[in-house]
Amino acid sequence: MTAPLLETRNLTRRFGGLVAVNGVSLSVSAGEIVGLIGPNGAGKTTFFNLLVGLFPPSSGEVLFEGARISGRRPHVIARAGLTKTFQNVALFMESSVLDNVVTGALLHSDLGAARAQARATLERVGLAAVAEVRAGELSFPERARVEVARALCTRPKLLLLDEVMAALTPPEMEEIIALVRSLRDEEGIGFIVVEHHMKAVMKLCERIVVLNFGEMIGDGRPEAIANDDRVIEAYLGGGFRRPDRAGGSDDADGAGGAKGARA
Amino acid sequence: MQTIYTLTQTLVDGLLIGGIYAVISIGLSLVFGVMHIVNFAHAEFLMIGMFVAWYAWAWLGLDPMLGAFLALGVTFLLGMGMQRVLIKPILAAPQVAQIFLTVGLLFALENAALLLFGADYRSVSTPYQTEALSLFASGGERIIVPYAKLFAFLMALGLGASVWLFLQRTRTGQAMRATAQDATAARLMGIDTDRMYMLAFGLGTGTTAFGGAVILPYITASPTVGSQYVVLMFTAVVLGGLGSVAGAVVGGLLVGLIQSFSALVLPIQLQNLILFVIFIAVLALKPEGILSRRTG
Amino acid sequence: MARRGTLAAYGGLAILFALLPLVLDPRGYEMRVLCLVLLFAALGQAWNLVGGLANQISLGHAAYFGIGAYASTILQQVAGLSPWIGTLAGMALAALLALLLSVPTFRLKGHYFALATLAAGEAMRVIANSWSDLTGGPVGISVPFNPGSSVWMMQFQTVRPNYYIFLVTLILVTALFWRIKTGAMGYRLRAIKENEQAAEVIGVDTYRVKLVASLLSAAITAFLGTLYAQFQFFFDPDTIFGLAAFSVKMALVAILGGVGTVAGPLIGAAFIIPMEELANSYFGNSAAGLSQFAYGIVLVAVILVNPYGIVALFARLRGGRRRDRASRGGEARP
Ligand SMILES: Nc1ncnc2c1ncn2[C@@H]1O[C@H](COP(=O)(O)OP(=O)(O)O)[C@@H](O)[C@H]1O
Ligand SMILES: [Mg+2]
Repeated sequence: MTAPLLETRNLTRRFGGLVAVNGVSLSVSAGEIVGLIGPNGAGKTTFFNLLVGLFPPSSGEVLFEGARISGRRPHVIARAGLTKTFQNVALFMESSVLDNVVTGALLHSDLGAARAQARATLERVGLAAVAEVRAGELSFPERARVEVARALCTRPKLLLLDEVMAALTPPEMEEIIALVRSLRDEEGIGFIVVEHHMKAVMKLCERIVVLNFGEMIGDGRPEAIANDDRVIEAYLGGGFRRPDRAGGSDDADGAGGAKGARA
Repeated sequence: MQTIYTLTQTLVDGLLIGGIYAVISIGLSLVFGVMHIVNFAHAEFLMIGMFVAWYAWAWLGLDPMLGAFLALGVTFLLGMGMQRVLIKPILAAPQVAQIFLTVGLLFALENAALLLFGADYRSVSTPYQTEALSLFASGGERIIVPYAKLFAFLMALGLGASVWLFLQRTRTGQAMRATAQDATAARLMGIDTDRMYMLAFGLGTGTTAFGGAVILPYITASPTVGSQYVVLMFTAVVLGGLGSVAGAVVGGLLVGLIQSFSALVLPIQLQNLILFVIFIAVLALKPEGILSRRTG
Repeated sequence: MARRGTLAAYGGLAILFALLPLVLDPRGYEMRVLCLVLLFAALGQAWNLVGGLANQISLGHAAYFGIGAYASTILQQVAGLSPWIGTLAGMALAALLALLLSVPTFRLKGHYFALATLAAGEAMRVIANSWSDLTGGPVGISVPFNPGSSVWMMQFQTVRPNYYIFLVTLILVTALFWRIKTGAMGYRLRAIKENEQAAEVIGVDTYRVKLVASLLSAAITAFLGTLYAQFQFFFDPDTIFGLAAFSVKMALVAILGGVGTVAGPLIGAAFIIPMEELANSYFGNSAAGLSQFAYGIVLVAVILVNPYGIVALFARLRGGRRRDRASRGGEARP
């Protein structure tokens, strides 16, 4: 058996007294599409930040293609083929959409090739029409797509998507789902997708991992996760019995609630 | 080998001057804490305070320890006015604009003083100027505490404590702290943040001017005197944590001690070099200086 | 199309400046002022590499400038070395200082970076003042007088040759800035300016990019320091390492003209330097400080009127039009 694409071993990150990610051991194979779910404040974004090297882990380690990457700087990890999109959108707001994406493409290409690659990628994610527009002028869903395009241009082997479907309409979600699928099928890119919209996650992912208070409490096929009592209890609270009914309402849970509960 | 007397004397000297650094740094830190503006012109208010106290002495015969209150009042009003006219419009501007606005203000104030007061050095004469307390005298050894420095230190201490009490105990002070923590939330709570900004700037400039006035008995005033304090002040503030008033006090005392102890081993010109190095090192290592790590 | 027009405009400007000395008195005051305009435009351009493109606001570039001036002058004094050679030592030393400074400052941004560089510049001033054996101390240092005009020793009968050296340097530095700005490095620097963490995550080695830019910036600034020393023949630590005289002024030239733009430093220098000289000659010594006072007031006023600089004002007008088009497009999309 070959080494998994990504492997975390007992990955832990503390912020002061708070354990945001607690002993997570996970492995992801090449070309897998994994959903990562959990209530607000569960540590999903922190987990991503540990993977791409924005924070060093407090303990534990991250292996990518069998090599240890924890402790390396983010650009080294990006070069190895692992990058993410930012939940709160971290575009270069004063630059054009095209220039944003070109900057990603420069990781592996010279400027001429990077431009061509950027245009092709914008075409693919449906942003060709706004290529020359300043990123700061876009709507939130458009910005999230620029994030995806910029990250894709770094030619990742594994791409971490942090709530790129937030605030999308159902048809727009379908577009993203189709895009992720085709990227995996045609280019073999693997994904870990953080998303609150359960229907979308269920539809897109072949495997779902559940975080709660920084701990991994579930890992399995969507149907299994949907019926796991522990997951239902932790993630959906007492209010919901069945996840497929939780559809659109889970965006509403405020960050404050989760934080307050832990303080 | 340094005697215990030399070391104690160095400690006393360091604390005496450190107290002054503390009070002038409080003002700078307050301004940063409340409106997140690094005021490069801040040391000019020390100079203005000195001149106000000097004129109060020359024209009204007021001792600088009393003139200091006049300096506080005058620069409080001046600072509020400047905040209104100059700082408020750029609170949301790019940092580069903020930096250069206050740098421009630095040039304008320093040279306005040159035009108004001339380049001459001005000093005052007070009855206690040349007197000193002599402590623990024995066998030719003693600790000397000049009254001028002692009075300045006590005045600085008094003002520092007052500012602290104001921030902790009064409604306005609490509103100011709330504004410093989160201006948007403060506004939602009904605090007039624009007023808080003005007050904080006035209080900041006033406090620093007060610190300038009380040292007049042993430091001569000149239009360029501020420039000698810029890095000292910033070092103190950064040591204690930009924006923290209590931190500025600790930082000020530390800077005073570093200065007086380094004088034991280094030629006088190189004293400040040590401070520069410490300053840069602290900037690099303090969490506030490091990129905000909150990412999404 | 637009690019060819711009290029033609710059070419025309270069030719104009190349011809200007032919109609001016080579020993005249105007020539000296023009030399300073060219010098500061080049300094602004060098500062712009880091300050403009990556938004790392340095208030300590006088450190590099002074190192360049002192290195070539001291080597001339003690070894009779040509300033063309001496400046290489200055450039290397300046780059070394930039390298050393990058360690504590590479994570700093905004005010913090400005403060750290300010302290670095001041530290150099203290060193130059106290290391008298090497620098001559606070009284200053003179370039050894070499009678007869000589390109090798960079000493001339009039300032006309100095003028052309400044002009050629400015053209080269501007071309370099333009290349960097429009090349891959420019993209990376802008990424750092706009969101450093995002830049890292998509593969930009932010430390290395900032370091390369500041090494270039430091070396160019040091070279200009040598040119200034050979033009002025005398300088002292408080001036050459001065906050007002160089650190702030070279940044200002870039900022008033429009930070991060090719034209910015050119416009800024053409505006600030003559204005300052005018004020100086008008008020003279009758009122010490008046021109500096006016300088501060103008600085404050310009920033209050438009915090983004003169060039940015035009860019904003253009940007405004583009925004209109973009938002119309936005309405058309579902
Ligand atoms: N840089 C940070 N400093 C301190 N606490 C943090 C930081 N980043 C995240 N946290 C805390 O860690 C916990 C997990 O946050 P996060 O990873 O953003 O959760 P999620 O993405 O699942 O909503 C939260 O309680 C959050 O407040
Ligand atoms: Mg999150």
